[in-house]
Amino acid sequence: MTLTSSAQPAGRPPRPGPRPADAIALRGVSVTYSTPGHESRTVLSGIDLTVPAGEFTALVGRSGCGKTTLLNMVAGLIDPSAGSVSVLGTEPRKAREHLGFMLARDALLPWRNARRNVEYGLELRGIGRARRHEIATHWLEAVQLTRAEHQWPWQLSQGMRQRVALARTWALDPAVLLMDEPFAALDVNTRRVIQRKFLELWQSEEHRTVLFVTHDLGEAIALADRVVLLGHGQVLDDVRVDIDRPRDLSVIENDSRFRELHERLRVRLE
Amino acid sequence: MPTTNDSRPALLAGEDQVPGQSPGSRSLIGLSRETLVVRGLQVLLGLALIGLWQLAAVLKWPDPVLAKTPLQAWDYLVTTARSGGLWSNTWATMSAVLIAWVLAGAAGMVAGLALGLMPRTERVLSPYLDAANAMPRIALAPLLIVALGIGTQAKVALASTLVFFIVLSGARAGVRSADAEWLRLSTVLGARKHHLFLKVLFPVATPAIFAALRLGLIYSLLGVVGSELISARDGLGQLIAYDSSVFQMDGVYGILVLLAVIAVALNQVMAFLERRLLRWQPPADQ
Repeated sequence: MTLTSSAQPAGRPPRPGPRPADAIALRGVSVTYSTPGHESRTVLSGIDLTVPAGEFTALVGRSGCGKTTLLNMVAGLIDPSAGSVSVLGTEPRKAREHLGFMLARDALLPWRNARRNVEYGLELRGIGRARRHEIATHWLEAVQLTRAEHQWPWQLSQGMRQRVALARTWALDPAVLLMDEPFAALDVNTRRVIQRKFLELWQSEEHRTVLFVTHDLGEAIALADRVVLLGHGQVLDDVRVDIDRPRDLSVIENDSRFRELHERLRVRLE
Repeated sequence: MPTTNDSRPALLAGEDQVPGQSPGSRSLIGLSRETLVVRGLQVLLGLALIGLWQLAAVLKWPDPVLAKTPLQAWDYLVTTARSGGLWSNTWATMSAVLIAWVLAGAAGMVAGLALGLMPRTERVLSPYLDAANAMPRIALAPLLIVALGIGTQAKVALASTLVFFIVLSGARAGVRSADAEWLRLSTVLGARKHHLFLKVLFPVATPAIFAALRLGLIYSLLGVVGSELISARDGLGQLIAYDSSVFQMDGVYGILVLLAVIAVALNQVMAFLERRLLRWQPPADQ
């Protein structure tokens, strides 16, 4: 069965009109925190980064390199100390209704069953009950969790929980997906399955813009169109991944282009 | 199915089953074997305790004045129940317990949620709250009785000082237990402040509030009976005070047992409600 998730339930709120060519644009962005000892610590300095609409960009770096800070800024959770950030041609907070967000932990609300967790974002955006039900039914089916819809999060396995999180993200029909190490907390086998499910969803429809933060170089190359290396608050490297789509994750690591790129970027990261 | 047809048994079709829920062994009346064993042992322990009480009474240990058998205590309860005195006094106690629990519980919940959401206010108030909470509340009884008289008000006031702080701490801790990731995700998905409160902070606080209300109900009984022991027009605490002053120990024992039964019943009702309302929580052994 190949997923035809472009078959969205009818009557969705329309995507924003003529979209700017760059879904995400950071210009001269710096972020400085003041520490308790009144010293300032620069997390990001002078970052210029644009992500064209429909592109899958992975942001890779060691922990503490500022990649989550960058993502939080695009999500409108923090403001830059200098420079400007725009998402879909507007300021990040105003673009929130077109954002999807996934975290390392599934962040399911334990007092909501699987279905109600999928409906959560729709509820926050004021979608009516009948529409929520319809959309959630569609996405629960897409992640093969229809039979588990009434179960509480504690009753679900780790992989099932992250699939609920995937369904919750896709249910919002986001133009831009922000992902903060979404598969990092999963064990190796579960991670593979969820990565595939994710790639399948993404590849089966008109591409959504993705900004994907990870510390796993292999994951970044396997999934993304482009890999941006971040280190010491700056962009260290920015490369395209010229591996054809749709990709098969089970064999991609044998691809010579994958290995070359992996080696090149690994050296840069060290 | 391109995503799941490799060999990952834990994630394949059969995984929709609930982990950790096996049918288990069930007896004819619907209770598990384990539950039956526990219930049986509880009954045996109860009988053993009554037996020890009987033995102490027969041996007149530790003092002949205290030596009253379980049957004598039971007779006392039956006699006072027939005369109607037991019911009116039980009602006097229990109505005060419920009034204090409802009023102080509601106030404590609101105050606790508010303090949980306003860390600075909480920091300003915390030494005063700690001091008030550490005060032996029974010492307030004479004061409250002078201020409010020997009717229901003084008992309610004393019990309220206990219930209020218990529920306040529960609600405050509950709100604080919210996961930062839930708040981060909700904010990005479009939650406004009232959404964060109604859809994240309040639900996450409910188990702690519930546990505090359960404890608060027992403390409400403690506060009311304590106040009655010191001075009151009526109530079970007043009956105990009177009976012990005239060395009618069968009465004292009867009422103590009655109070214990009431406390257990209240606890069971709360546990039942908790199970019904908080079904989303994993069982304790998960």
